[in-house]
Amino acid sequence: MDGKRKMFISGGIIGLIATILMKFGNPGNMGFCIACFYRDIAGALGLHRAPVVQYIRPEIIGFIFGAFIIAIAKGDFKPRGGSSPFIRFFLGFFLVIGALMFLGCPLRMILRLANGDLNALTGLIGYLVGIFVGIQFLKKGYTLGRSTEQAKISGYITPAIALVLLIFLLVKPAFIFFSTEGPGSMAAPIALSLIAGIIVGIVLQRSRICTAGGFRDAMLIRDYHFLWGILGIFLVNLIANLVLNFQSFNLGFVGQPIAHNSHLWNFLGMVLAGICSVLLGGCPVRQTILASEGDTDAGITILGVIVGAAFAHNFGLASSGEGPTTNGKIAVIIGLIVVLTTAYSIVKQANQIRYEKKEGVNNA
Amino acid sequence: MEEYCVVTFHITQHALMFEKVMKELEYPVKLMPVPRQISSSCGTAAKIPCEKKEEILKLCNERQLPTEGFYKIEHKKKRSWF
Repeated sequence: MDGKRKMFISGGIIGLIATILMKFGNPGNMGFCIACFYRDIAGALGLHRAPVVQYIRPEIIGFIFGAFIIAIAKGDFKPRGGSSPFIRFFLGFFLVIGALMFLGCPLRMILRLANGDLNALTGLIGYLVGIFVGIQFLKKGYTLGRSTEQAKISGYITPAIALVLLIFLLVKPAFIFFSTEGPGSMAAPIALSLIAGIIVGIVLQRSRICTAGGFRDAMLIRDYHFLWGILGIFLVNLIANLVLNFQSFNLGFVGQPIAHNSHLWNFLGMVLAGICSVLLGGCPVRQTILASEGDTDAGITILGVIVGAAFAHNFGLASSGEGPTTNGKIAVIIGLIVVLTTAYSIVKQANQIRYEKKEGVNNA
Repeated sequence: MEEYCVVTFHITQHALMFEKVMKELEYPVKLMPVPRQISSSCGTAAKIPCEKKEEILKLCNERQLPTEGFYKIEHKKKRSWF
């Protein structure tokens, strides 16, 4: 089977499963939403106290288990890290601030679009602009440095966290919060979500599908390999929605579930998410998969995402169906300044070092 | 059986520098995602004809083009889904 078809089918499986999860109870256009799911987990753990978005999403646990198991089986499991973890933490932090301004990670953006929500088109344009900006830094020599091999145990931390979350989900101790209303209360049955997550985790680990990588490669090196995966997610999800969730299909900007139509802020939120994704080398879903196969830098990024999501609700930064908040707008602007400054500073330093090295060679 | 070789890099910029120099020297080079057989990462690699390996590696050395590794990719006819 050729690469393109394989990618398309891999994406298609994800798109199909997203429709099924929505059919069986997940919130509107939220078969999967990595940013929202980590936000719900942050809420369930009491890191924020927004009562409508607290749930330990089994899909995330499934992603981690699926990717971890297949990585072990196929020899991809390699504990590694040490590539600017602190910077990655904050890139993850601001990525989720941008995503919660828009109300969805890049994956949910595609799913929203596939169910007729045209606000996701504004978000997509923002995401593409963000990726374009990020690419300019890559071209100029941006890097977070190499990661090196780490102790084996470090690679088991992410799957161990997933296991603890699963126990919390099943045992439901009193200190874990579960929404009784709002999006946090809407969920497919635990077993279905978990199995769906495991399947998608396996598919994502094998295919390496990444929303940021797909658009980045198309723009940077004119390679469309990963873009076929994104297309698969979109098209299969669209068709499956029309067949299975026809009553919820709604083409337009208004009346969309868990969305708002403040175009400027949908755009800017996803610009921020796009820049962060390229600078991190992958969107939130990709970070989750990398963390599961032993990449502790991706693990730190996810912690940044969870902490960022908690702050987003504690400080009133996350948008709601009514629209963005003033605090959220300020946070997105700050996020843009912080990540652009960080990337600029890295590029400047990298070029300085290269220049000095060349000088050294010439003088020798 | 299709066979080709790839050069991998530590950072994207190195791949772009490599492509630029090779194109100037009229080598057939194409940037692509790192093949799945090599790595589970999704960085950028450069596809080159295997028979030019020695020439190209020598050139990289002379021109101080930083590379990470060199791999030969063989496509087996029967490939599993994974």
